[in-house]
This record gives sequence, C-alpha cells and structure tokens, in this order.
Amino acid sequence: MQLAAFQILADPVRRHILEALRNGERPVGAIVKRARIHQSGVSRHLRILQESGFVSVRPDGQRRLYSLRPEPFQEMEEWLAQYRAVWEARLDRLGDALKRRRKHAKRTNRSLGNE
Amino acid sequence: MSETKIVIERTYRASVQELWELWTTKEGFESWWGPVGFRVDVQEMDSRVGGALRYDMIADAPDVIAEMKKMGQPLSHKTSGTFSEVVPERRLTLTHLIDFLPGVKPYESTIVMELFPSGNSVRVVVTLSPMHNPEFSEMQKQGFTSQLTKLDKRFAR
Repeated sequence: MQLAAFQILADPVRRHILEALRNGERPVGAIVKRARIHQSGVSRHLRILQESGFVSVRPDGQRRLYSLRPEPFQEMEEWLAQYRAVWEARLDRLGDALKRRRKHAKRTNRSLGNE
Repeated sequence: MSETKIVIERTYRASVQELWELWTTKEGFESWWGPVGFRVDVQEMDSRVGGALRYDMIADAPDVIAEMKKMGQPLSHKTSGTFSEVVPERRLTLTHLIDFLPGVKPYESTIVMELFPSGNSVRVVVTLSPMHNPEFSEMQKQGFTSQLTKLDKRFAR
C-alpha cells in the first residue's frame, strides 16, 4: 500500500499540486497558479490524487475546493519508521557486542596479570 | 538540494577503536551485524576504499527459521557490498547491493556510519538511504521526503 503511495508521488506535477495544497484548501485556479503548471492535465492529476486518497474535494458554491488528506502521509511515515525500528534493534545488538568484548578483555587482562 | 535520510544516533561507553573494529573486522562484524534472529558469516571483508564485503545472512533463531520455512524463503542468503568510503575511526560508508528481494529490481542501499568521540563515550550516527524502488529514489533525489514531516506537523494541529 505504501509503495503505491510512492508511485503516486513519483510524478512531479502531482508533487507540485500537493505542495500547492500544503497551506490549506484551494480551488483549481489557485493550484495551477501556485504550482506553476499548465492547466492541461491538472484535472486528471487531481483525479488520480483523489482516487489514491491524497486529496479530498468539497463543493463551495460554483467552485470545488481541494485539500490534503493525512492518511497516505501517515502511511509513508510508518513505512520509514520500520527502517528506524530495525536499526534501533541493530544498535542494541552493537551495544551488547561491545559489553561482551569489554567483559572478555577484562577477563583476559586479569588472567594475563596473574601469570 | 535537501535529501532526507533516516538518521539514528546512539552513544556508547566505548572507544572509537572498539567501535571501528565492530564495523570493520570479520570477528567484530559477526558479533552483532544483522537483524534480530539472524547471524552473519563473513567470507570477505576488505575495509579499504573500494574493498569488498561479502557475507551470508543466516536465520538463527527458531521462530525466524520457522517463519522463513513457512514463507518458502531460504534460510541463508548471500549479501555483498562495498566499502565506498573509509576514514579510519571516523567515518564509513557501506554500499549494499540489494538483489535478493523477489520482484524488486536490484538496487543499491547505503549506510553511513560516523563516530564522534567525547570523553569516555562515543556517539555513533548511522544514516540510512532506504531506496526501495525507483519511485522512492526519484522522490529522494527531488527532496520530497523531507516534506513529509512538515506535512505531518500540519496535520498534528
């Protein structure tokens, strides 16, 4: 699921659209202006973003207002957090290995000292 | 261009020499490397710039072995990498070739390890580039992932 989200974001136009929505909801015209992209294709990209859950839309009189939805971003954060968790565990092991080495070194030193 | 990576830090009461050995010698590496439930068996470790690193990652814990068998995965897989940067007792970059994920094109993943001594302890900073697929790599190149956290803050309000 997360990988699908990354695929959605691989498109630069869609990233520009999301950036344009960072500070709150906007109508299409404002998105086009802020994202500095051509009007053509924007509605198609907005539809893709809507279908994949990145963006929601609500009517406001004659216009439609687009805004970001948090869920896919949270999913991506979770995906990244998995890497962090794996490495936290690895660094625990590194710490354990250090302790074992120290103990071993102490023992060796002591036995050398006795000789 | 800002490129977000995953940075993990840990401070150990140890010397830089001890930590460096754990990352760059066969014996040291084998004493801790690998995810929980696995051990590694190093075949080649040439910790000079451009030197090769080759090891087997072997399922070691009974539950992991059972899980791997259930999924039809081999209990051991060959892993290879390169020491792409080596500044003794200070900084190390390991580049791994990830070519064992089914259905995923081979890709390179880098781990940068830096040591910062202070008194009788050392801060270890590990920086990961989890480039899992072309899309993610592309996003990273364009600095998009750094914005995820900012977006998260916005939603936290």
